[in-house]
Amino acid sequence: MIPILIDGVVQGLQLSLLAVGITLIYGLGGVLNLAHGQLAIVGGVATALLIGGGVNVVAACVLGVLGAGLFALVVDRSLLVPAYRAHGEERLLLGLVLTLGLSLLIDGYLNYQFPNTALTLRLPVPSVNLGGFRVRSASIGTSLIAILAFLVLLGFLRRTLVGKAVRSIIQNEVGAELCGIDATRTRTLILVLSGMLAGLAGVAQGLFSSLGTEMGVEFTILGLIVAVVGGVRSINGTLAAGVLLGIVNAFASYYVGTYLAFIILLLAAMITILVRPSGLLAYWT
Amino acid sequence: MSAVLRTEGIEVRYGETSVLRDVTVEVERGEAVSVIGPNGAGKTTLLKTIAGVLRPRHGRVVYDGVRLDGRPAHRVVRLGIAYVPAEKELFPQMTVLENLQLGAYVNPTATDEHLAFVFGLFPRLRERTGQLAGTMSGGEQQMLAIGRAMMAGPKVLMLDEPSTGLAPKLVAEMYEQLSRLKAAGLTILLAEQQVPLALALTDRTYVLENGAIRLAGPSRDLLGDPEIKRAYLGLA
Repeated sequence: MIPILIDGVVQGLQLSLLAVGITLIYGLGGVLNLAHGQLAIVGGVATALLIGGGVNVVAACVLGVLGAGLFALVVDRSLLVPAYRAHGEERLLLGLVLTLGLSLLIDGYLNYQFPNTALTLRLPVPSVNLGGFRVRSASIGTSLIAILAFLVLLGFLRRTLVGKAVRSIIQNEVGAELCGIDATRTRTLILVLSGMLAGLAGVAQGLFSSLGTEMGVEFTILGLIVAVVGGVRSINGTLAAGVLLGIVNAFASYYVGTYLAFIILLLAAMITILVRPSGLLAYWT
Repeated sequence: MSAVLRTEGIEVRYGETSVLRDVTVEVERGEAVSVIGPNGAGKTTLLKTIAGVLRPRHGRVVYDGVRLDGRPAHRVVRLGIAYVPAEKELFPQMTVLENLQLGAYVNPTATDEHLAFVFGLFPRLRERTGQLAGTMSGGEQQMLAIGRAMMAGPKVLMLDEPSTGLAPKLVAEMYEQLSRLKAAGLTILLAEQQVPLALALTDRTYVLENGAIRLAGPSRDLLGDPEIKRAYLGLA
């Protein structure tokens, strides 16, 4: 029981890393990023290639995360420009089509170009004893990375003026503009930040087990489910939902298999939309 | 004297309908000017165009020798024109203090100084710093909206229907603060349905009807104008 629970929490934290980016990008720009899982893969594959090229592992991880952010910057400045020119429903639909296309492009390119590339990071110490349980040090490592990333993110959003500006755009974009906040530039910043968080999730996946070029779709879908359950405008809700669904996923995978686990997660998302349309912790941004 | 803020023959359209036609409005430095007129006359459109929320199809908006039309709203604020829209556009899930801090986004180093000024203007905001903006009453939200605009340290304050939805006592209180701001040298452009209040506060008034300027003159003179009396003051 306990090992499954721990696995669930660890995976859940990773899901939160992915989903929080989806939440932020949607909250700020009204674009539901269907290529978000692929950003994680871009970060992870870049890291794997750098390590393969002889770069120091830690440096490669940092560069991989930065690479995912850089890739997100390019996407924001090129592909998403027409979406941001449109408004309301039109922007949402255009964003869906554009990011779906991007996800297919990334998947296709990576699978074709680097078919056997996978990111597997091994820690020197395989496991440690934690309160009577043997816990893989990789689990502790990935969890610490995720928790640290959240603390930094929440500190940024709550304490800094730019972070408050980000939240203000989510709540009222017109009001933010009238305060002198450039919503377009802030959106770019958030896309880069979300890309880096996704890249971090990708690298963490490599630490936890293994990250392959074909995992983008799965990451995107899991991230979307978590974002929906957490409430697509609530950051704290997304964090909570990630851990919760990670646990559900771990138990479901263990007892009924991964295929049914996916269906159970989708059911959870469906029930949330019906019962609490604005998410677990609505508006508690 | 030359105007610090001027619209030159602006035309604004929503789709095919023009909402403003050839509107020229001038505001001098330190002057308070009101725009009155029936619902749908184009008052809000005029203020939104100056604020950079809307773009004019024709004509220019000039502030202190700089063209404003075509600039996005966040740039206009930086030039010193703050706009309090009728919808207030506050951040409902943020505290009063956070709303005010964001008002000073264009000049964060002046936050404390401007905060003291705003609290002096509306002491009630000081008592409510930790309250979420969305949970405040209409009157308090209006004060917060004006306070947030003043946090930018503007030279020109534009207000759209600040009295709407407020109890008469609060309206009187708010107008008292506006006249204090005017006395302190702030330039004010006000759109208002409550004509007597607007005329009492301001030096000059434009009457906007069907998207065009119908009448303009010193507010004192308009207060005595029989046509204004009949149309806007409800007097026979």
